[in-house]
Amino acid sequence: MSDPAIFDGIIKVLFVSVIVTSAYIITTRNLISLVRVYALQSLTLVAIALSLAWYENAGILLAIALITLVFKVIVIPYFIATVQEKIRITRDIEFHFLSPASSLLISLALMIVVYITLSRIMPPMPAGGSLFFFGAVIGISLVMMGMMVTFSRKKAITKVLGYLSMENGVLLFGLFATELPFIIEFLIVIDLVILILLTTILTVGIDSTLEEYHNRLHRFYLWEEQEDAP
Amino acid sequence: MILVAFALTALTAIILVALSRTHGQMNAAAVGQALVFDVLAFYILFFVQVPVDTFVVGSGYFFIDHLGLLEVLVATFIFVLAAVYARGYVGNLLISHELEAGSLKLFYAAWCLLELVIVLAFFSDNLALFWIFAEMTTIISAMLVAILSAKENIDAALKYIFVASVAMIFAFVGLIFLYEITRSALGTGTLNWTVLMANASALPPTMMAAAFLFVFIGFAAKSGIFPFHTWLPEAHAKAPSAVSAVLSGVLLNVGIYGIIRVFAIAHRTAAAAIVVPVILIFGIFTIAIAAFSMLPEKNLKKLVAFSSIENMGLMLTGIAVATPLAIFWVLVQVIAHALTKASLFFSAGILHRQYRNHLSADAPDDIHDVFRFQPLAAWGIVLGGLAIIGMPPFLAFFSKFFILLSLGLISPWVLALVLVLLFIAASAFGYFVIRTFGRTTPPGEPCEPVPYHTPLSMKAPIVILLALVLALGLMFPAGGYAFITQIVTELGFS
Repeated sequence: MSDPAIFDGIIKVLFVSVIVTSAYIITTRNLISLVRVYALQSLTLVAIALSLAWYENAGILLAIALITLVFKVIVIPYFIATVQEKIRITRDIEFHFLSPASSLLISLALMIVVYITLSRIMPPMPAGGSLFFFGAVIGISLVMMGMMVTFSRKKAITKVLGYLSMENGVLLFGLFATELPFIIEFLIVIDLVILILLTTILTVGIDSTLEEYHNRLHRFYLWEEQEDAP
Repeated sequence: MILVAFALTALTAIILVALSRTHGQMNAAAVGQALVFDVLAFYILFFVQVPVDTFVVGSGYFFIDHLGLLEVLVATFIFVLAAVYARGYVGNLLISHELEAGSLKLFYAAWCLLELVIVLAFFSDNLALFWIFAEMTTIISAMLVAILSAKENIDAALKYIFVASVAMIFAFVGLIFLYEITRSALGTGTLNWTVLMANASALPPTMMAAAFLFVFIGFAAKSGIFPFHTWLPEAHAKAPSAVSAVLSGVLLNVGIYGIIRVFAIAHRTAAAAIVVPVILIFGIFTIAIAAFSMLPEKNLKKLVAFSSIENMGLMLTGIAVATPLAIFWVLVQVIAHALTKASLFFSAGILHRQYRNHLSADAPDDIHDVFRFQPLAAWGIVLGGLAIIGMPPFLAFFSKFFILLSLGLISPWVLALVLVLLFIAASAFGYFVIRTFGRTTPPGEPCEPVPYHTPLSMKAPIVILLALVLALGLMFPAGGYAFITQIVTELGFS
């Protein structure tokens, strides 16, 4: 029942939307929309996984789509949004080394480099495999772009989103390059959730409550001085 | 079955930590868990026919071979001593309010969980499973770094998480590559190390080299290899010393272990020709960066942390040589480095308690009159320092000597370069010790700090570790030779 032409078209549209979302993640300064775009990107991945499942009749892809939907579209964005409300930062305007425009240019260059490198090392694909090759290229490019976000932004919470976007890239690459056993995919998502929980909580300590932290430190030095005085 | 015993012990310990009220009880739970783990590891060593591959899950997710067992033996032993050490150290952190009483349960629960995750990582056959456990060790140990109530610790922990996790993502891309390679070469995809080793000759070399390089990026970051070492000095210097010892003595081994495993596969293919120069260059750069960073270093724990980077670099160059002799001594170096470095961090922790800087962990240590206040810790640093720079008759002398010797067989120029760099690192260590430990207050002047009363639980681990490193250097047991030779054979280097 799977018609290759329709499948081809759908996947291409989804690829474009993945690229658009990642470009948005690179350039935007508004943190709330950043989280929303991340959720949208994950949703796109769910759609890709579903269309692949429909095309290949693979049950495991359905399961991957499901855990992606639950964790990456709902749980993690919700959690980060809640934390953001608590710490009341809405904009991350500091870019470390790169301005948004130059990061876009660099990510374009990165995609070309990835394309050339992969076309050298990947074995020649069977007929109709070019789509799979593009999926792998876009996946790796997404990893690279996420890494750029992680290293070029200053606020820890934006770095977290960059990391998440990298992880999405790995998922995309994994979807198109090969099929990993489900238990591995599942454990990775659990891993990711713990990582995000921890970093976001640490972020609260570092990004927002600086005053509170200073107060606490002050108190703690006072204590020490009293202790040493007698 | 034995893995279930490990998991149940850890679970019991975590429940006990959750139930206990005082620091003493929590620490007892942690020490108890570490002891049981160590006994279990020795039980496997003496009574189980290694390698074992199928148990628990039935499919080949876990296995025990000699390399994993060696790492587990070293790790559990260090955990026992670190847990004992934590009794005095963490108790003092509580008194000085550097660690809040509310975080104590979290600290010990994370501690117990970390030990379990490390053991499971070393016993994973499936490389993806190993990746997951390795990633978890990053997360949990970052939690242990961040737990002190100071902003610098959170900074260091976040840096650790971001650098290590971002690099580990690349490692996972590499694993996906590897899976795809096996799927096209063998028919069914697999990441089981034993299967990969058995069928290594069928894997296409170009793809294999690409997969290895990706995986290498991730595990290099875990073990502090240049240019991914930036997190290491920060995290090691700011963590509580009991945690620093584990970070340096055990967690760095996780990274090197991963590199050895994947390199063993790549070495069996033609990819070795591409891979070997790369890791040799990274190894030399790592030693160089570490040596030159050590020269101006004024903070003792950072100095010791950079020395870890230097040792990791040396191990990497040894792996690059890839002769049976080199691999053998790299493994000995793993043991020597882990034991010595743990003792150094224990000693540094005592000095840190005595001369702790109230302003910042980055500031240079204000060490003076060290032999009067803390004679044992001072001698611990001096002897541990001699041991780590490779002075005979400590164990590290032999491993470093033979690694250098096998480097010389590749090229005398490489040998000369590495030797000079090691010399710089050693002299940086000596310079630090002479400069800071010689400082004394002239008699008559008021001497500021009150001597910190070091409990026996903090002294004993240092003595035990140094005695062990010395004893192993003087007389390496014959069983040990056979054991490590067995590992080299299993890795396919002979």
